[in-house]
Order: sequence, then C-alpha cells, then structure tokens
Amino acid sequence: MTARETILDVRDLKVRFRTLDGDVEAVKGVNLHVGAGETVAVVGESGSGKSQTMMAAMNLLASNGEAAGAVDYRGRNLLGLSKAELNTIRGSRISMIFQEPMTSLDPLYTIGSQLIEPIRRHRGLSRSAAHEHALNLLRLVHIPEPERRMKSYPHELSGGQRQRIMIAMALANDPDILIADEPTTALDVTIQAQILSLLAELQSKLGMAIVFITHDLGIVRRFADRVYVMRRGEVVEEGEAEAVFTKPQHPYTRMLLAAEPTGHKAPPPANAPILLEGRNIDVTFSIGGGFLSGETLMLRAVDHISVRLKRNQTIGIVGESGSGKSTLGRALLRLLPSDGVIRFDDRDISHADVSAMRPLRRELQLVFQDPFGSLSPRMTVGQIVTEGLLVHEPALTAKQRDQRAVAALTEVGLDPNARNRYPHEFSGGQRQRIAIARAMILKPKVVVLDEPTSALDRSVQKQIVDLPRNLQADHGLSYLFISHDLAVVRAMADYIIVMKEGRIVEEGPTEAIFDAPRDAYTQTLMAAALDTARFRSDHGSLLPASRL
Amino acid sequence: MTDAAVDNEPAANVVVGRSLWGDAWARLKANRAAMFSLFYLGLMALVCIAGPWFVPHDYTTIYSDYVRTPPSTEAYPKADMVKGALDDVLKRMRVDLKDWKLEDGRATITVAGTRPIDERYLRYVDRSDTFDDARMEAKSPDGLEMTFSAAVKQQYFLFGTDNVGRDLLSRTLVAGRISLAIGLLAGVVAVTIGVVYGATAGFLGGKVDEVMMRIVDVLYSLPFIFFVIMLVVFFGRNFVLMFLAVGAVLWLDMARIVRGQALSIRRHEYVQAAEALGVRQSGILKRHVIPNLLGPVVIYMTLLVPHVIILESFLSFLGLGVQEPMTSWGVLISVGAHNIGSANWMLLFPAFFLVSTLFALNFVGDGLRDALDPKDR
Amino acid sequence: MLLYVLRRLLTAIPTLFVIVTLAFFLIRVAPGGPFNQERGLSPEIKANLEAEYGLNDPLWLQYGHYLKNLSHGDFGPSYNLPDFTVGELFARGLPISIQLGASALVLALLLGCLLGTVAALNQNRWGDYAVIALATAGSTIPTFVIAPIIQLVFGLSWKLLPVGGWGGGAMLNKIGPVLTLALPQIAIVARLMRGSMIEALRSHHIRTARALGLSDWSVVVRHALRGAILPIVSFTGPAAAALLTGSIIVETIFAIPGVGRYFVDAALNRDYTLVMGTVVVIAIFTIVFNLIVDIMYAVVDPRVRYD
Repeated sequence: MTARETILDVRDLKVRFRTLDGDVEAVKGVNLHVGAGETVAVVGESGSGKSQTMMAAMNLLASNGEAAGAVDYRGRNLLGLSKAELNTIRGSRISMIFQEPMTSLDPLYTIGSQLIEPIRRHRGLSRSAAHEHALNLLRLVHIPEPERRMKSYPHELSGGQRQRIMIAMALANDPDILIADEPTTALDVTIQAQILSLLAELQSKLGMAIVFITHDLGIVRRFADRVYVMRRGEVVEEGEAEAVFTKPQHPYTRMLLAAEPTGHKAPPPANAPILLEGRNIDVTFSIGGGFLSGETLMLRAVDHISVRLKRNQTIGIVGESGSGKSTLGRALLRLLPSDGVIRFDDRDISHADVSAMRPLRRELQLVFQDPFGSLSPRMTVGQIVTEGLLVHEPALTAKQRDQRAVAALTEVGLDPNARNRYPHEFSGGQRQRIAIARAMILKPKVVVLDEPTSALDRSVQKQIVDLPRNLQADHGLSYLFISHDLAVVRAMADYIIVMKEGRIVEEGPTEAIFDAPRDAYTQTLMAAALDTARFRSDHGSLLPASRL
Repeated sequence: MTDAAVDNEPAANVVVGRSLWGDAWARLKANRAAMFSLFYLGLMALVCIAGPWFVPHDYTTIYSDYVRTPPSTEAYPKADMVKGALDDVLKRMRVDLKDWKLEDGRATITVAGTRPIDERYLRYVDRSDTFDDARMEAKSPDGLEMTFSAAVKQQYFLFGTDNVGRDLLSRTLVAGRISLAIGLLAGVVAVTIGVVYGATAGFLGGKVDEVMMRIVDVLYSLPFIFFVIMLVVFFGRNFVLMFLAVGAVLWLDMARIVRGQALSIRRHEYVQAAEALGVRQSGILKRHVIPNLLGPVVIYMTLLVPHVIILESFLSFLGLGVQEPMTSWGVLISVGAHNIGSANWMLLFPAFFLVSTLFALNFVGDGLRDALDPKDR
Repeated sequence: MLLYVLRRLLTAIPTLFVIVTLAFFLIRVAPGGPFNQERGLSPEIKANLEAEYGLNDPLWLQYGHYLKNLSHGDFGPSYNLPDFTVGELFARGLPISIQLGASALVLALLLGCLLGTVAALNQNRWGDYAVIALATAGSTIPTFVIAPIIQLVFGLSWKLLPVGGWGGGAMLNKIGPVLTLALPQIAIVARLMRGSMIEALRSHHIRTARALGLSDWSVVVRHALRGAILPIVSFTGPAAAALLTGSIIVETIFAIPGVGRYFVDAALNRDYTLVMGTVVVIAIFTIVFNLIVDIMYAVVDPRVRYD
C-alpha cells in the first residue's frame, strides 16, 4: 500500500456532556488518523462514542456537550476555529452524512433548492450554474429523472432515494473527507447494498477519504482499509481491516467477531404433527380515507399465504420492511382479522371470537421486537410476568404467583429480585428476557418471535438467540421466528419462508435456501446480507456491477 | 444502562424498585417553585375557608359610617372621624351639640334641643357604627339638655371597605371560597367531559374518532364565550348553569390531550402484549391504560383550574356570574375597576388574591408536568 | 391544492348552518324572549317583528324569511333600541373592533415570534428566563386585571394615556386597549415560538444544514424559523377567537364603542336580537378566518397539500 498523506489527525479527543445526573464522558481520549483517499471504519456498539467522536470534529455536538483535545485537518485544529472559519471547511472540505435519511432533509424546501444552497454558499456560482451542477450531482448518485426531482419535496421520495440526495449534497463541493455516520442502518438490506456500492463507486471517481461509522462488522470487512474498534469511549484496537478480522488482539474485538450467531437447527422428525396451520391467509388494511378526504386505499399486507408449523420446528420468516412478515405472524395468532383458514392443534380457529380464543392464548404466545415498548412502564417486572397467570390460572394465590415468577425469571437467566423492580431500570437485553419470561410462564406450545433481536446490539443478540434455543430443547416448543437478519435466522430456523410485498417468494429447508437460492430476489437478499466479497478490490478499482 | 458482554447484574441489594411515580415525586420535591406554590395554595384555601370565622366582620354587614374607608392597620375610627360620625347621630336625634370630649375610648357629649330629649333617643347612638353602649349621665331639669357618654367602637378594616361600607377583608375571603369552589367543581366537570370524550374517541378510533375530533376542531376555533353569555342571557343566571357553562367551554383541551394519550397507549406494544396474553378489556383498562393516562390528566387538571377560575371571574366581572349576596373575586375586581383613582384598594386586594392563586396553580402545573414527563427544557 | 380548499369549505358550511339554525330556534324558545307573547311588547317592536318575521306564518316559512334576511345582512331590529336595526349598530361598532383586534393580532404575532426566537437562541441564559417570566405573567394575569392596572398606572398616575374612551380613533386612545388585548397573546405566542424553535434547532435537518457549512443566518432564519412558524400559523385561529373574547372586557373597561361593548350591554339588558345577531356574526367571521388560516398553513407546509 502506497504511503498516504495524513489529512485528518485526531489526538487525545475527549467529549463530555453535562446532564441532570452529572457529567457523562462519552469519549475518553481517542487517537485516530485518516489518510487521503483511504476508507477508515470506526466500529463499536451503542454507547461506544463512535458517533460523538466525529460529531465533535465537526462541531455538531448537542448544546450540553464540550470537546477537548485536537482534531487537525491539514494542520489546522478544527476545535479551535471560529464558527465562520469552520463553516468554510464544513460542507466543502469535510462533509458528513447521517443515519436518518427520513428526517435529515428539510421538508419545506424542494430538493433542488436544498442542493443548490451549499453549492452557491461554497462556490459562489450563479443560480443557473448551480442548477446545472446540482443536476450533475443527481445523475452521479443515479437518481432517475433528475430534472423532475429537482422540483420534488423530500416527502415524495423513499428512504433510499433520500440518502442518495444526502450523499449528493455532501459531495457537491468535492470534499477531501466524507464522514458517514451509520448511513445504511435505517435502510433495508438490499437498499443498503446499493448505497454501499454507490459510495464505493463515488470514492473511485472522486478520490475522497471516507470515515465510515458503523456497528455492522460485515460492512466493515467489505469496505474498509483500516479499522478502529471503540468501546465505552476508547479505542481498544486498530489496524488494517483484514488483520483485525483474521487476528483480533483485544478480547472485546474477539467477542464482537464471535458474536455472529452460530449453530443450526435440526429439522423435526417427519412424523411430527402439525400444530399451527394457515391456509391462503389474506390480510388487508385500508389506508387513508375517512370523512371527506379522498378515496381509501386498500393495502394487501398478506397475500394468499400458507404456512405449516410442526411440533419442535422453527420456521424462519424473512423479508424486508413492508414484506408483511410481522402481519402474518399476528394474523396466525388471531391478533389481526384475516381471511383464510387457520387451524391450531387440529381445531379451526379462523372465526373464533375473543372469548373463544382466550383459553387458547396461553398456548400461543408472542415476543415483540421492541423491548422498551412491550413492557408496561408502571407495573413491576413481577406483575408483568405474572399477568398471564391472572387470566389463565386465576386460582393461584399471590404467593404462588410470586413463586412462579421467581422460577420464570431464573429460567431466563435473571436475578429473581428483579421482580420488584420496574422495566425502565433494566437494559434492552434484560427487558427482552423479561418478555420471554412472560411468554414462557404460561408453558405455551407455539411462540411467535417477532424480530426479537433487531433492537439490540450484536453482542447481546447472541444471548437472546441462545436462550430461546435452549428453552425449545427443554420444553419442546415450536417457533415462528420473524426477522430481517439472515445470519440470525440461519442459526435459529430449520425451515425458511422468504416474503416480499405480502407474497411468498421462496421457501424450503434452511440450508437449501442459503446454499442454493433459486429466486432472483432471494439471491439478491443473500448477496446483500451475507456476501463476504469486498465492494472494492484491494487496488482500489471498482468491481463489476454484476457482482452485486 | 448498557449491555456489555456480561448481562447479568449482581444481586441488587435494593429489593424494592423505584417506580415512575416515585421518580416523579422526587423530581417534584426538588422543584422549589412548585413546592412553595403547593404550600401557598393550601394556605390560601385554609384562609378562605376558615378565615371569615376569625374576622370580626360579616361579609354582608354594612357600616354606613365607613363607606370607602382606606385600609389601615390602626383601628377605626380615626380621631378626625369621630366628630363626623357624632354629627350624623345628632342630626338623627335632632339635637344640637353643646360640648363633647373624648377620653380613654369613651366620649362624653352634651347636647341641647328645642324640645325635651327623650332618653330613648340614645338608641340612635347605639345604632351608629362608631358608638356603642350609650349611657345617660345627666339631664337638665327641663329636659332640654342632656349629657351622655358612649364608647367609641374600635373597628379594624385591614383591607378597607367597599362602596357600600362592607369590610373588604371578609368579602375577599368569602369570595375566595366561591371562586375556589367553582374552580374546583367546574374543573371536575370539564375534566370529566374531556376525559370521557377523549378516551372514547382515542380508543374507538377510526371513523368515530375522526368525526369526534372534527367537532372538537370546529368548536376550538369558535369564541365559546359568546355562546355561553348567550345562554346565560336567554336562560337566566342559574348556579348550575354556571357550572355547566364554564365546564362546557374548557373541556376541549382535555379531550384533545386524552385522545392523544389514548391513541398512543393503544399503539404501545404493552397493550398488544396484554391482548396476546388474553387479558380482558377490563384488565387492560385497569392495569395498563388508566395508570398511564393518569399522569397527563392530573397535569392538565392543574392547568385547567386557573382557566376555570378566570372564566368564572370573567362572567362575574360582566355581571353575568354569581349573584348577590354571593360574591366572587371577579365581582370584587369588577367593582374595584370602576373605582380606580379614588379607592384603589378595592381593586388591588382581590386582584392580588386572584393573581397569586393563579400563579401558584400554574407553577404547580408546570412542576407536575416537568416531574411526570421530563423533557429537556 | 384546490381540492384541499374545497374540502375545508365543505366542513365550514354545515357548521355555519347549524349555528344559524340554533340561533333561530333559541330566539323563539327563550323564556321571556322577544317572540314570547308573555312578555309585554311595545307596539313598535311588535309591529317591526311581525313585519320582519311574519309571526303568524308556519315555522318553516319563518325560517325561510330568517335565512333570506340573514343573507342580506339583516338581523332584525334591536330589541332595546327600536330605532336602530342590529345591522346599523354593527356598522358602527365593527370597524372599531376590527381596528383594535387586527392591531393586537399583528402585535402579538410579531412581538411574540421575536421574543420566542430570542429566548430559544439564548436558552437557559438570562434572555431566556426574562422571556419565560414575561410569558408566564402575561398568560396568567387575566385581561380584566391588566386593563384597570394599565388605566391606573398609565392613565391616572403617570398621565401618559387617556383613561378611556375612543376619542374618535386617536392614537393615544388605542394604545391602552390594544396593549391589553395583545399582552396575553404575546405571552402565548412567545412560549409557543420558543418551544417550537428549540425543537426545530435540534432537528436532524438543521444538523444537516450545519454540517454543510451554511451560515448561522441561513440555518436559523431560512431553515429553523420556517419550520418553527408552523404551529404559530395554526394558532392564529384560536388567537383570533381569544382576541374576540378579550374585546368584550377591553371595550367595556376602556369605554370603546365597539361590537364587544354593544354585546355586553345587550346581554345585560336582554336585547335578544342584538345578542343573537352578534353571535351569528362572530361565528361567521371565525369560520371564515379559520378557513383562511388553514389555507395559509397549506401554503407554508407542502406536506399538507397532498393530504
């Protein structure tokens, strides 16, 4: 690798926030450097300080934050510059794009005017010249119909398109460094892949350095030259990407790499009975409409889907947002109205009403995606976990319920004393365990796990994957595991259903789907999520587009 | 709290957790303005309810000698007022003054008349607000001259008196009873209507919610007061009508808040989780909905009460609210406003009571809002 | 956009109808009202009423007459001042009330927005605290307390302003009433603007603007302000309603011959037709005003137009 000139040098950066509960040190003395044209990844989980490091460099910290140390850009310390001086650098020499494309554009101005503004500000071009330049930028980021899009408003575009526009705005003035703060985290897997390949393409065309902040190791491996691993405000490891991946030094790095879910699930015996079955399920929602406000749109969320879940089986339902997978899960549990036949334990429950379903509820349980929202904030953990017992075993005394709570919490690996505390006193992973305990205390037969790990850090995800697996072995449960995270599903399920826009695209045993997907969409999904090939070859040239 | 590699916490020594209510109470206690205001409100309520029993004047007693007297910490009558009061009495007795002197709180007066003076005329002296305990000392043999003595009644008018001669302190306190009572009761009416309406709209959702909220939107933009006054004009001044009218104007905000909360609670996954467990609607309401609805309702109730008091005062100010002999701060302020320049105390005392109470209620409401729903100011 | 306006109109018209119909029936139902024969009517009134409303016609015909009269702006004769029609009394008082109300509204919006922005930009420093204190005072103290105090301080003690009266529209006479009317609204707008601005300044798209190196002026005025204004635009509707309410008090205390004052006098003297007429006019005005506000909102916020 040719020696690169260091253009950004961060030395002993410290960031502190003043809060009502005292001072919080988010960054505790970080050193890193970026060379011209190289791609540097900063990796860490939530709370590692990776975002705050770069926000401090760009002076974008919240009002209660302060930074100390040095951030040298081509010899000038950004932390010491005045607002005016900094503004000549921001947006023109160093640019930044953020995680939330849906809210990062001003909703009240057209795309065109938002693009033109930084161009005119930094280059002083006339309106028409800036307009031309903006059009070129839109073409650069592959936005179709650029002329028309100049007059559109952000709310008329999708998340992926908005992120492309953000990139265009950031690159408008040909910066030296592009800082990308988790730019693809909020996007679907296939869109993620497109944005990443776009960034790679732009880098090879324009030659800027990229600082890529992420928690996703898979992306880092395919994208970065060098890596910094951060934890709790400090850099714990750094080095060339391949080296860090193949020979990690620090135990934390090793743990992160090992946190990839592993294992596989053996399929149930062939003669296992079918517990839960859905035939030709349809779920339709009406959107909009109402008194005097235009026509009602009917959205077919689930379109003619059939599922058969056997005892001891785990079916993984994968798909991107809007695929209908969560809706299907809830429809099968009769939490949503649907058309079609649903059978549980050899009984037809398609038209069972609320009171008919009630006794069956204990056998059909659901674990939600959001550990923060699925626990009632004003009830103790004990009350939350035993609420189901109030309905299904009303004869129990308070003491007996308490004992069951103790047992349930111990089984999911939590301290039984937790039952007297409140949900907000626990972390995300712990809350998810509580939710699992709530489901398991009723000794169900079928549990639908709806994206149970999506809101958690990778290191915690592994535990929340191991736990249901162990419980399944102990209690002979059957799972419907809904997720968009293919790595997790591969470890959990023995049968896969791939959904897109309400329909089944492909289904089959896990290994068959992963090793040899037949449908084009499935192939794209697998490639986007699991491909370990790099976006750029080591010599900096772009790989052929067909690879992606 | 962060998840690290190690997820299990060591067994906590704290066995009882701190609920959100506990957190909120701690935050409220730390808010000095709110705690002081709470204390002030309690004091105000106590003073208005119990105070009139300790004030020597009744709020309806008219002291014709003390019309529009300024407030004073010293006792009335002042030295220069005694003569005037004496002249009034003697005029009624139809006698002339010969001589008088004031000693140790008793006045000794010698009068003469053209006709024999009957002892019973001393009644006029007793009836006076200034004198009391009239006793005849001496009488001339022909009855044309009489000397009597009377005690000079010491009265305190700490807030002065009003246009008619009534003690303002007792009136202000009694008015406080009315204003606070109406504030509380009409506030309850407004809260009840608002909560029921908002909760129904929020929980039923869909078309019903849309229609109900459209109605609220329309009503919100109309100056309700005109309709209320219209009703009062057409149907007379009825105490119950007052309650309903005041409550009916102010329920809109509460309805909006409650409906918003109901919608968001419904969407919260913990409600769906309860449904997935098979919990009945009553259980969901009892354990999940109401505890989470309570917070905003309490906050907005404390912010609603000052509006109610203002509204009642508004109506009373115009002469459309409480009727004589009842009085409220609005009535007092109205009369006071007509007398500025000549009797400022008639405006300033009730205005101070009203405004300080409103401020206190606002601080408590703000404090509650910060405590129960802390967002970065 | 046209569709949006049409839809708003569609909700406005039934409301108007309901109010007008309610008015019609209330007048006839009220105990002791002008159409109630129990009350001793002066022969002039009786004659007038019979002529206007055809009291012996069937009810639906009377309703038709009523609507027809309304559409001509004819509200009938004043009950207590039979020489004047309600319409004539309005013609005198309306321009005055509108002058005061419009001035107060403009003052409230401008000053409120300014103060709110200053507070937001100086958050948690003394500028912020000063504005919050002012806003709390302004929105807590009722108009009927502020007005006499202004009269006391500026009129009687410092002798800067006349204590009351319209003075034929002299500037000095207008200051007291306009200030009293505007003060509570200034307070509310300032608070609203402060909160709105603080939230806007924290939003993601402001972060983007800063990251692009745009100047402070551009960030605050072009981007943050435009977004922060939206709740204020929505508030203009209820603000106008509050000003109408306030005008009752202000005109009474400052002795201004506007519609509010007529309304109060009418209310106290049981002048039913005048009371009724005022309510209908107020309702029409408010509904039209809110329609305009809704349209203004759609002009400022493109997301709403495609609703």
